[in-house]
Amino acid sequence: MHEASIVESLVDLVQQNLPAGGRARRIEVKIGLLTGVSPDAMRFYFEIMREDTLGAQAELDVSIEPLRAECGNCGMAHSFEEAAWLCPSCGAQALSFRNGDELQLCNIEVLDGESSND
Amino acid sequence: MAKVVTIEQRILKKNTEVAAENRRHFEEQGAYVVSLASSPGSGKTSLLEVALTELRKEVAVGVIEGDVQTDNDARRIEALGIPAVQVVTNGTCHLDAQMVQGALEHVPFDKVELLFIENVGNLVCPASYDLGEHLRIVVASVTEGEDKPLKYPAMFRRSHALVLNKIDLLPYLRYDMAAARAMALRVNSNLEIFETSCLTGQGVLEFCQWVLTQMAKTTAA
Repeated sequence: MHEASIVESLVDLVQQNLPAGGRARRIEVKIGLLTGVSPDAMRFYFEIMREDTLGAQAELDVSIEPLRAECGNCGMAHSFEEAAWLCPSCGAQALSFRNGDELQLCNIEVLDGESSND
Repeated sequence: MAKVVTIEQRILKKNTEVAAENRRHFEEQGAYVVSLASSPGSGKTSLLEVALTELRKEVAVGVIEGDVQTDNDARRIEALGIPAVQVVTNGTCHLDAQMVQGALEHVPFDKVELLFIENVGNLVCPASYDLGEHLRIVVASVTEGEDKPLKYPAMFRRSHALVLNKIDLLPYLRYDMAAARAMALRVNSNLEIFETSCLTGQGVLEFCQWVLTQMAKTTAA
């Protein structure tokens, strides 16, 4: 349930980065597979927290980044949709991960003051 | 009109910044800092009680205790005559760098060279938060089963050492120590693994010696 704290940090970061008078409409976030952070739990807390912060127009677009790894034994490059520890090609326990720790605010789609009916 | 503003910043940037401040503070104070994480009831506080009794013969020790409620753990450490600061998170399931920073003014650093931070019992959430510590230890007791590392890989990946605790119970359990070690190393091949019992003291000296060695390496660097 640390997603609550993570969403709180996310909302703070969005507020700090909003241009004056702008309102956030769509917030794009990427999460690495090795962080153990749940996108569903983030969406749940975001819907609660946006009411008193960013406003009901704000939407969270959160996606999991595929995990990219290279095998130190056979040299094959792989991409995983869920955490894996063994090389699918040679079975060795020699994967070195290129990513997986992302917890990243990528961009914000901002509405300016007059276009609140967009 | 809507426009897209590129941000590309880590969501926990603020935590990382405060953790860096903590690290600078520790270095200024000449303190080496070790964190302990585990699920609730794995024996973190018991391990601290027995390990600190040994470690205090070599260095001045202190503890920051993190719990959702109560100051029971800090009182257990203070009963040994060791300075302990309790952080009560009031529902939050992990310590973050800011909570640790808030506790630092209560740590008597003139009397503490080796500081332990005991996190809230939880193998999920603390894994996302750097506290500024030098060394991260995860504790898993043998009653929890062998596959904790595969179920909670984030925590085991970021840790430097794994303590498999309560090994005095092994005769009563179906627990495959070799399998447990293999699963931990599958997730993190650099893990140092210790087997301990806080009841018999088995393995505790070896663990303490390793902590002191890591401390000496960092302090000398």
